[in-house]
Amino acid sequence: MRRLYGFVQRFLRHRRALLLGIGCIPLISLCDIRLTLWFGDALSRLSAKEDPAFLSRLFVLLLGVAAVQGLFRFLARWWIVGVSRRVEVELKQDLFDKLAHLSLAFHVRSRSGDIVSRLTSDVENVRMLIGPGSMYVLGSLFMVPGSLWVLFHISPGVTLAMSFPLLLVAVAMMIMTPRLQRYSMAVQESLADIATHAQESFAGIRVVKGYGLGEHENRRFRAASETNRAHQLDLARARGVQDAWIHLAYDLAFLPILVVGGWAMIDRTLDAGDLFKFVDLGFKVFWPVIALGWIAGLYPRAVASAERIDEVLEQRSEIVEAQSARTLARVEGRLTLREVGFTYEGAARPALGGVTLEVAPGTTLGVVGPTGSGKSTLLNLLGRLFEAQGEVRLDGVPIRELDLDSLRGALAYVPQDSFLFSDTYRANLEFGAAQPLEEAELRRLTREVAMEAEVAAFPNGLEQLIGERGVTLSGGQRQRTCIARALARDPRVLILDDALSAVDTETEARLLANLRQAGKGRTVVVAAHRLTTVRSAEQILVLREGRPEALGTHAELLERSRWYRDTWERQRMTAELEVL
Amino acid sequence: MSADLPDELTEELDKDEVATKAWDSAVLARLWRFARPHRGKFALSFAILAGLFFLELAAPWLLKHAIDGPIAAADAARNASESGELDATPYVHTLLFLGGGYLLIILLAAVFRFLEENQLTRTGQAVVNDLRTHLFAHMQRLELAWFDRHPTGSLVTRVTSDVENLNELFTSGLVVLLFDMIKVAVVLGLLFVVSPTLATLVLLLTPVLVGVSLVFRGGARRAHRSVRARLARTNGYLQEVLSGIRVVQVFRREERVSQRFGAHLAAYLAANFRTILLFALFFPIVAWVTVLIQAGVLLRGGSAILAGDVTLGDFILFWFWLQVFVGPIRELGERYNVLQSAFASAERIFAILDTPPGITTPAAPRALPLPFHGHVRFENVSFAYDARVPVLSELSFEIPPGATVALVGATGAGKSTIVNLLLRFYDPSAGRITLDGIDLRELDPASLRERLGLVLQEDFLFTGSVRDNLVLGRAGVSPESLTRALEASTASDFVRRLPKGLDTELAERGATLSTGERELVAIARALAAGPAMVILDEATSSVDSATEARIEAATHELLRGRSALVVAHRLSTVRRADKILVLHHGKLRESGTHAELLAHGGIYARLHALQFREPDAELRAG
Ligand SMILES: Nc1ncnc2c1ncn2[C@@H]1O[C@H](COP(=O)(O)OP(=O)(O)OP(=O)(O)O)[C@@H](O)[C@H]1O
Ligand SMILES: Nc1ncnc2c1ncn2[C@@H]1O[C@H](COP(=O)(O)OP(=O)(O)OP(=O)(O)O)[C@@H](O)[C@H]1O
Ligand SMILES: [Mg+2]
Repeated sequence: MRRLYGFVQRFLRHRRALLLGIGCIPLISLCDIRLTLWFGDALSRLSAKEDPAFLSRLFVLLLGVAAVQGLFRFLARWWIVGVSRRVEVELKQDLFDKLAHLSLAFHVRSRSGDIVSRLTSDVENVRMLIGPGSMYVLGSLFMVPGSLWVLFHISPGVTLAMSFPLLLVAVAMMIMTPRLQRYSMAVQESLADIATHAQESFAGIRVVKGYGLGEHENRRFRAASETNRAHQLDLARARGVQDAWIHLAYDLAFLPILVVGGWAMIDRTLDAGDLFKFVDLGFKVFWPVIALGWIAGLYPRAVASAERIDEVLEQRSEIVEAQSARTLARVEGRLTLREVGFTYEGAARPALGGVTLEVAPGTTLGVVGPTGSGKSTLLNLLGRLFEAQGEVRLDGVPIRELDLDSLRGALAYVPQDSFLFSDTYRANLEFGAAQPLEEAELRRLTREVAMEAEVAAFPNGLEQLIGERGVTLSGGQRQRTCIARALARDPRVLILDDALSAVDTETEARLLANLRQAGKGRTVVVAAHRLTTVRSAEQILVLREGRPEALGTHAELLERSRWYRDTWERQRMTAELEVL
Repeated sequence: MSADLPDELTEELDKDEVATKAWDSAVLARLWRFARPHRGKFALSFAILAGLFFLELAAPWLLKHAIDGPIAAADAARNASESGELDATPYVHTLLFLGGGYLLIILLAAVFRFLEENQLTRTGQAVVNDLRTHLFAHMQRLELAWFDRHPTGSLVTRVTSDVENLNELFTSGLVVLLFDMIKVAVVLGLLFVVSPTLATLVLLLTPVLVGVSLVFRGGARRAHRSVRARLARTNGYLQEVLSGIRVVQVFRREERVSQRFGAHLAAYLAANFRTILLFALFFPIVAWVTVLIQAGVLLRGGSAILAGDVTLGDFILFWFWLQVFVGPIRELGERYNVLQSAFASAERIFAILDTPPGITTPAAPRALPLPFHGHVRFENVSFAYDARVPVLSELSFEIPPGATVALVGATGAGKSTIVNLLLRFYDPSAGRITLDGIDLRELDPASLRERLGLVLQEDFLFTGSVRDNLVLGRAGVSPESLTRALEASTASDFVRRLPKGLDTELAERGATLSTGERELVAIARALAAGPAMVILDEATSSVDSATEARIEAATHELLRGRSALVVAHRLSTVRRADKILVLHHGKLRESGTHAELLAHGGIYARLHALQFREPDAELRAG
């Protein structure tokens, strides 16, 4: 219950509507009982051969009460279900905001499918229990005791006799629920498996098709589907047993009505109208009793879901802004790194360690090194996407003490994997900018990344939709778009992670020239494999297996770093060989 | 991520929520085709429902017989006897006998109920399982252009929630609905047997109930569909933001995406309120109409009882059978809802099943002759993704058996497109491509793909272990060939350092590896099955040059005598090729060996000169 308390609080934020809605519920039950009593009384009077003249007045009364009841029903549903939907939306928004701010480390270790299901089915489970669920429970709490109380006054014996089977219903529910719970979990999981499998298969369709893995994928999918079917059948069996039990127990309640009530009628202690009341109210408490059981069934699932939601909400981002975070009015772009390192979660060894250096404003730092040597890791630490060991300072302020707006606002980053959104070309560029861009500005950006002609050739120009992750662009076009997006930010510090790997040498030369222009006065940190890209940087850092091997200018490194010299020679040699 | 205008969003959403027909017999006929093989199961479901129905009717009938039988008899006897005294025993015996009958009935009903749940699920699942695997297999056959047009998220929805919706259709939807109709007809008949006058009254009032249900269902259909569509949007957006979270955060766009998500949620909420309003109106109105019918029956029945036309037992029997009669009509709206949402799902599913694969193979495809040579010819090939923008025009070239051919050219020139065509991801719009003399369009795709080693520019690693990613369920991968491939791609170095080596689990898209490491895995995967031909599209673009040289040397050995198509921007990667093709704006501009092309002094020579240009042309951010 404690688990759900926080969610109940969320509902209580809409106290007024909720209380009004809840207030209607006993009135609904009251009307319901009233109707049965009037019908029953009418039968009693008829069996006593009374003049049927009273019927027409009763007719009007019945319809009037039914109309009032209808009004309460409407209001209860409108208020309670309405609040539950509002809470759902608020909860989803909170979750989304949380997710948007949670550190990258969290996102790398979690599966997106799992996260999506927390925002969808888990939220729904909680909403169902606290919203409509509580509506039904409250309804039952008034209807069942109310009806039994009324009936008790007519015939205590019959009432007691019919209460036992009703109790049995509850018992059956309690016994069966855990098992049902298990099976429905299994069903949910197997459904999630199907979704995950399909998701990967579609996202990786090029590899699947390229290797002709269609049959292989079909087989695996079929297996997942079969598993789901097996679990569904298990669940159906358990549910069948539960259903049969509940109905049996419930139907049993009518046996005393028939036998004991009938006997009492023979003895003339009950009349036909009384018997009618028993049967009719018996029918009317059926759904409330079932609803109680249904809610009892929902309860464990909702608690499990609440836990999963809380797990996200209570997740603390490793990247937190300091209490009195400092802002920088004007960023110059001086980067100071002292003994900076990083170890990924679950990794056997640090990906980076012992990096100490300073990048003066407006200068360029090149980062080179073999595959997997920690270049991207270092670049990620600058924007505080991961929390660095050691200390990173921007303009002399440790980035841990800086507010994220100042830090990241001053940065622009071109990721190594060229991620783009499935939106228009224009929207992707504007993603980098603080406000919508002028046409001239957009044109300047596309020109700077040497894409002016290509964008002009798009059938819809800047409004071209570029597909998921930008699939309808070529590799080099994606990469250049990412660079344009970064430049749209007009950043003080520009971080390029191997941002020219997918462009040809001619475009690269143009880009480098443009970037040199654009980079004027900016601090640039650029990771690259082609040493020509970093050759003229003021400083070049050579990383090897996460350790800094050397730091210096191109000329110095040729002296000091063997790896650098060898790589340079190799790249140089192939060039000279080619000329021969 | 344009500025967020909820109004605009709403409008755009509404456009998407295309109206479908309420009752679509064409869809139904097609569904039946999937249901037909399981018609035995359907028949059994029906039989069970019929049994249950019968038992449901029997209980009130017993009550009537109790009231009109022993109770009325006792009453009469008591009235007849002077003293008003009565020996109740025989009457109570009859009553107990009826009670026994009731007990028997409810026990039977319990058994039937158990069977019902089982049988309906069995039936639904049988159909759904067939449909789901069929749908998935069909999607696998569709061409890449189709996948380019459809977001992954919505495709996943097709094989998950849409298919589950159909499950509802077969279980609580169609079978029960059909049976409900039979129920209504049968009970109406029975009501006439009990009391024609009262039954006539009911018959007159029923249209009101039906009318309410029908009006409701119209609104519910629309409301329902827009809720679903908006929910799908919301989830799709969430999914996308999650996959691009690094970019969102580093650009500090958390607020912006959150606002956009908020706009999606607001649209979703608005649609939901429409549904709530409808249901909040519907249930009370139906309940009121039910009371109206009951009150009418009481009014009319009261005088009938007094007149002796109807016994008290008959009246009570009529009353409770009336409830059996009204129940299905009341639920018509709800059931209709299920049906409707299932129809919408069915439509979406059939839209996919109706999409013929754009890339087909003839009924009797030609297998590659043995021995395989790997002789590729492009003959006057033209191609465009979008008819307005030609990408390749009149392209002709050849990869001779066993030769390595390199493709170079500016970005966007169409290199990856050539790879796409060779893999038959797309078909050329003119001209033809042959492999060992057979047109790709007549070739058995299986026979080609088995022989191929492939590294795509946008390669993809699956969630799962490194080993799974290397093997990919291919029979041709042995432990030895795996080791060889790992060594040749130099992936063995870093795999050894992974916590569990080859059995290390990778995150989504291999996110726990560096970009270069992912490329190495893709290369190892291409080599693992001992390919007869390889296609490498920018396979080493993110790999350092020492590693690249090692890979080149090792694969050179491994691939001796096999055809290869290599796409690369770094000329060092391609200079050893037997032939280099220079592509420019989708046309072949130069071809020849490295030396020939340098001597020729064209585009290639210029590209080459640029690669090791003088320092002043380089990035100087100072
Ligand atoms: N799926 C697609 N749908 C529409 N257009 C596409 C698609 N894929 C590529 N294009 C367009 O086709 C042209 C050629 O693209 P392609 O990927 O073949 O270039 P490339 O030579 O491989 O370039 P790069 O060196 O940048 O990888 C580009 O202009 C691109 O925008
Ligand atoms: N999220 C992660 N979890 C665990 N290990 C990681 C993660 N990301 C990277 N690594 C590991 O950290 C090391 C450094 O990775 P990084 O991406 O910084 O390399 P890199 O120098 O940028 O390589 P490349 O040249 O291939 O881009 C690699 O061995 C990699 O496997
Ligand atoms: Mg990297």
